[in-house]
Amino acid sequence: MAQIPNLDNAALNLTALREQSQKELLSIIKSIRGKKCLVIDPKLAGTLSLILQTSALKEYGTELRILSADPLQTECPKVVYLVRSQLNFMKFVANQIKNDESKGLQREYHLYFVPRRIVACEKILEEEKVHQKLTIGEYPLYLVPLDEDVLSLELDYSLQECLIEGDTSSVWHVAKAIHKLEFAFGVIPNIRAKGVASTKAAELLNHMQLEDPVSMDNMGIPEIDTVILLDREVDMVTPMCSQLTYEGLLDEMLEIHNGSVEVDASIMGAQQDGKKVKVPLNSSDKLYKEIRDLNLHVVVQVVRQKATSIQQDYAEVKSTNTQSVSELKDFVKRLHSLPEIARHVNLAQHLQSFAAKPAFHARVEIEQIILEAQTYETCYEYIEEIIQKQEPIETVLRLLVLFSLTNGGLPKKNFDYLRREILHSYGFEHMPLLYNLEKAGLVKRQESRTNWPVISRALQLIVDIKDPEKY
Amino acid sequence: MSSSVSVAAEWDLLSDRFYRRITIYSPLPWSSPATTTASSSGGGSSGVGRLDLSTHIVAAAPFGGPIAAVRDDSKIVQLHSEPSRRRLLLFSSSGHPLASSPWTPHLPRLHSLAFSSSLNLLALLSDGSLLRFRLPDLNPITSSSPVPLLPPASGGVADAVFWGGGVAILTEDNRVVVTTDIEVDDPHPRELADPGVAEDEQVLCMAVVEPQFVMSGSPEVLLAVGDRVVAVDEDGVQVLGEALEIGPVQKMAVSPNGKLLAAFAHDGRLLVIPTDFSRIIFEYECDSALPPDQIAWCGLDSVLLYWSEVLLMVGPNGDPVQYNYDEPVMLIPECDGVRILTNSSMEFLHRVPDSTTLIFGIGSMSPAALLYDARDHYDKQSAKAYDNYQLISSSLPEAIEACIDAAGYEFDVSRQHTLLRAATYGLAFCSRFPHGRFQEMCKILRVLNAVRDPEIGMPLTVKQYKLLTATVLIGRLINANQHLLALRISEYLNLNPEVVIMHWACEKITASAAIPDVVLLEGLLDKLRLCKGISYAAVAAHADNSGRRKLAAMLVDHESQSSKQIPLLLSIDEQDKALQKSIDSGDTDLVYLVLFHIWQKISVEKSAPLDFFGVINARPLARDLFIAYARHSKHEALKDFFLSTGRLQDAGFLLLKESRELERNPMASKGSPLHGPQVRLVEQAHRLFAETKEHLFESKSAEEHAKLLRVQHQLEVSTKQAIFVGSSVSDTIKTCIVMGNERAAVKVKSEFKVPDKRWYWLKSCALATVGNWDALETFSREKRPPGGYKPFVEACIDAGQKTEALKYIPKLTDPGERSEAYARLNMTEEAKKAASEANNGDELFGRLKSTLAQNTLIDTLRDRLSFQGTY
Repeated sequence: MAQIPNLDNAALNLTALREQSQKELLSIIKSIRGKKCLVIDPKLAGTLSLILQTSALKEYGTELRILSADPLQTECPKVVYLVRSQLNFMKFVANQIKNDESKGLQREYHLYFVPRRIVACEKILEEEKVHQKLTIGEYPLYLVPLDEDVLSLELDYSLQECLIEGDTSSVWHVAKAIHKLEFAFGVIPNIRAKGVASTKAAELLNHMQLEDPVSMDNMGIPEIDTVILLDREVDMVTPMCSQLTYEGLLDEMLEIHNGSVEVDASIMGAQQDGKKVKVPLNSSDKLYKEIRDLNLHVVVQVVRQKATSIQQDYAEVKSTNTQSVSELKDFVKRLHSLPEIARHVNLAQHLQSFAAKPAFHARVEIEQIILEAQTYETCYEYIEEIIQKQEPIETVLRLLVLFSLTNGGLPKKNFDYLRREILHSYGFEHMPLLYNLEKAGLVKRQESRTNWPVISRALQLIVDIKDPEKY
Repeated sequence: MSSSVSVAAEWDLLSDRFYRRITIYSPLPWSSPATTTASSSGGGSSGVGRLDLSTHIVAAAPFGGPIAAVRDDSKIVQLHSEPSRRRLLLFSSSGHPLASSPWTPHLPRLHSLAFSSSLNLLALLSDGSLLRFRLPDLNPITSSSPVPLLPPASGGVADAVFWGGGVAILTEDNRVVVTTDIEVDDPHPRELADPGVAEDEQVLCMAVVEPQFVMSGSPEVLLAVGDRVVAVDEDGVQVLGEALEIGPVQKMAVSPNGKLLAAFAHDGRLLVIPTDFSRIIFEYECDSALPPDQIAWCGLDSVLLYWSEVLLMVGPNGDPVQYNYDEPVMLIPECDGVRILTNSSMEFLHRVPDSTTLIFGIGSMSPAALLYDARDHYDKQSAKAYDNYQLISSSLPEAIEACIDAAGYEFDVSRQHTLLRAATYGLAFCSRFPHGRFQEMCKILRVLNAVRDPEIGMPLTVKQYKLLTATVLIGRLINANQHLLALRISEYLNLNPEVVIMHWACEKITASAAIPDVVLLEGLLDKLRLCKGISYAAVAAHADNSGRRKLAAMLVDHESQSSKQIPLLLSIDEQDKALQKSIDSGDTDLVYLVLFHIWQKISVEKSAPLDFFGVINARPLARDLFIAYARHSKHEALKDFFLSTGRLQDAGFLLLKESRELERNPMASKGSPLHGPQVRLVEQAHRLFAETKEHLFESKSAEEHAKLLRVQHQLEVSTKQAIFVGSSVSDTIKTCIVMGNERAAVKVKSEFKVPDKRWYWLKSCALATVGNWDALETFSREKRPPGGYKPFVEACIDAGQKTEALKYIPKLTDPGERSEAYARLNMTEEAKKAASEANNGDELFGRLKSTLAQNTLIDTLRDRLSFQGTY
């Protein structure tokens, strides 16, 4: 199964959207004749795998490289950089060009910004004195379909940029992406926004509609009725909690990137050890579509039931000769789902090996206690203990943030004490990190009583995890 | 059909085809004395008077374009009421004076005039330099001094041929120079291969095959030298058609499609040959062996030869048609015929179109002719109309089509009318005929009639109009300052009027130097509002270029697109406004654009960066973007910014970052005695944090950090192992214990006031790491551990030491913890027992069961399915 998701069942014609992106990329590649080396930034390389098979690029005499700080190794006379417009990549590009020059290599350089050229990036290229050597273009990739019902903006750092650095580029990017969608699917009549950044995005979108109106002449009714924009800040609690659904656990334990996980081949039941295999995870896989949002316990049951039923059918087919052709056909059809079942049996088993550990249970339990916000001491001591035990800092910080959020901050004494314990245990280089968390309001000194218990009860935010069947 | 006879009577038969000469404009205003005086007395256009083709160098643009003329000073001329100073004159095709400007005296002799395809007037001087003028006001382009096209010492221009996009020049010393980018500011002439003309030979005539007809995409120049014709291009010279034995060619013309050549040979023969000279297509022997003054193609079917007073039209067969003129003539080739300009009239000579022949041909009984006749009867209320209809009912669509088509070819409005009326008569009986076709022709004719009006003077035919396109026509109209007509045509044809209004606005600004800004602005806005989405910035830019900065500032306010507005604001020095607008736009890229602009300006003007800091510090988005950018490449500027704006903590963090970079750089940290620079940076940061009350924690931490670095350095010195610097307090303690240096560990503990609880975790973990179980046990007995025995249990279990773990598990006070510990050692019974003691025993018990059960469940499932490797 391909990593590129099947979008036939999507509510919108996302296939056309993806094909547009494919076409734009290929026309860039084709516009540069002869053998060339395509250098992509690491994150974008993953994103592009959702748009086309990278092998398709090789047909046009293209070698693929991932952009890094190291010199570029290629024989190609032409180099095409395809990078997101981020300042840090510009130094890499500049260094590679300078390195080529120091070796006396004469090459033709092209730089395509994704999704658009940025003055600040070009400024760095100018300062590095390589701007003149580059032919600069744009690859306007704003949205990527991740699955039949998910489009991604691929803005990994937008929260950090908005909350900590005050750089609201991503807000403009969001508005622009939606505006681009409108050219394909019609002007969206209703825009709802919650949060500062979302409100700003809605405002910008409104402005873009005036500046660059979408002509509705040859379009019927708009295909998208409403857009709801939400700031991540509206709910910082959820991402701090451990995920418990099948898909959530896959992400938590194995990390889903661009709609697939990478696992050891041995986990998937293959013989060769040590090799990694990519397992695509999207709704093209019907079984996955069914179980992705279920609790792992339930997943195991569903998978078992499916397997058993096939087994029974098989036994029946073997023992009796009375089946009609259509019944046999039906059976064969169901046999086709065997690889899917096998795949998820393997993955679920692998997850179970994590999820069954007492540490995982303890973690989920303490999260629950923190969310209930009843017993301050227990939570505080638990966090103190895991800091002193030097458990991974991500785990510590997630719980600490959760604790601070539900508790409306920590009393100054405890706040300073835990921060000091963190710096002592993990090193003083984490000082800016703590400062930024404080700046973002994620871990803070208590200033007023928390309204979390009231809100969570009134809005029924918390589901009892002890009953896995419930969700 | 009597009415039709008169039409065909004006036609001339050339072999089997009819040709007709249509008088478009006559008399021309310049030929009538009355108008002459009127216009010459009218202020600015003095000197625009009589135009005599015989005494002027004249150029006329194709597609009904304007006519330019300068008096030919190589001829002796009787001046009537004209001034003696020469002027450059510009007329419309209908002879209306459009503009004139004095011809700069003391220039080299004018060789020829021509129009480029975008209607700039080109004047080639005999020394090979080129003057270019913009229409409609004849202002010189780029500079008033001529652009040289020939290399020095080439002897000047012997002959030259222009086409829409360039010029080929034959120099006096028989070299060929071609310029194909004649419209750009700085044209690049190229010399072609040496045509190899011998000393005693003479180039008789030249012609050019335009680049669009040549495979290589560059023009090919044909030269008649002696009794041969050579084709010259960039790569070489080719002698053509030696086998044809044409003899010396006196005059040549290339057909409009670039495929054929009409050549007049010295013996009076007119030959038509393909441009590759493969064969003679036909030849005609003229009465005169004298070469004609002019030779031109009329469409693709016949060639016009002009000798003084005689115009001869030669076709592939049959006798030529002869026209007599008692005044000088200029032939202006068009794609579908030839315009004939005389001192008194403008005529159009072309082949009679097929549809017209069908209708008006003498004795024509074609359905189209019958339909035309039927309409005539109908108008006379004669029943014959219906008889006609019945005769042609089966071929009605083609009859209608012919009438519509023929209407298109007519210059005479009343005849267009009759033909279209005939078509409507047919349409009434024929629902299947596409009505759009009729409407389309009506639209085209309305446009054509409008521009053919003598006041406008663009005698376009349907075919020319279609080739030229409506957009280009509108472009020509606005360039002729016919904005109102251009606007009406764009509206009529549903084209975007933006280009018209924009051009008008710019012209208006240029022409209104005396009108105050506010008044002019109102006038401009009135019209600009007509067009949604028009670029105010472009108009504003023009205002700025015309030296009206205030007007520009007022206009740019109306621009809705920030991406256009902001660069302009910067160019008119409205930086603050630009910065504010860019921030409002939400487009961070625009904010950066403004920031860099201001930054650069400051560095050029060498003013203090403080001004810049002040400007951006008041605007959070600009400030934050500057910081984000500076973090990447301008640390020093950023530090200055933080310090000068009182953001000491940020400066502190910047120093910490630098200190970490030092640490990462092995040259700076290892080997350097004291890690001095790094510690100094951290201490500096500490002092900065200490300056503000809010950053007490950071200040203390930085202080501790510096202390830690010192302690670690001492440890590295005393242990002679470089393993401490860069690790945390806890790790330092652990490392000490692992190395068996308990004393050092205790020292660090007390120096950094490590709480006992942590100490127990660190020490048990470190001892377990080195497997010192005796020491661990001794440690456990020292005193009652402040956080219980959990650290001991976990250290042992993590190390896989069941026996050691069992020493401490019973000491755990919480039965839940005990139960979990047993479970981790797979001691199910003990775990259950412990769980039952806990007060939340049931829950614990249940969880235990599910943890233990699940693994086995999945395992059995996997075994049963046994399809390994398939996924």
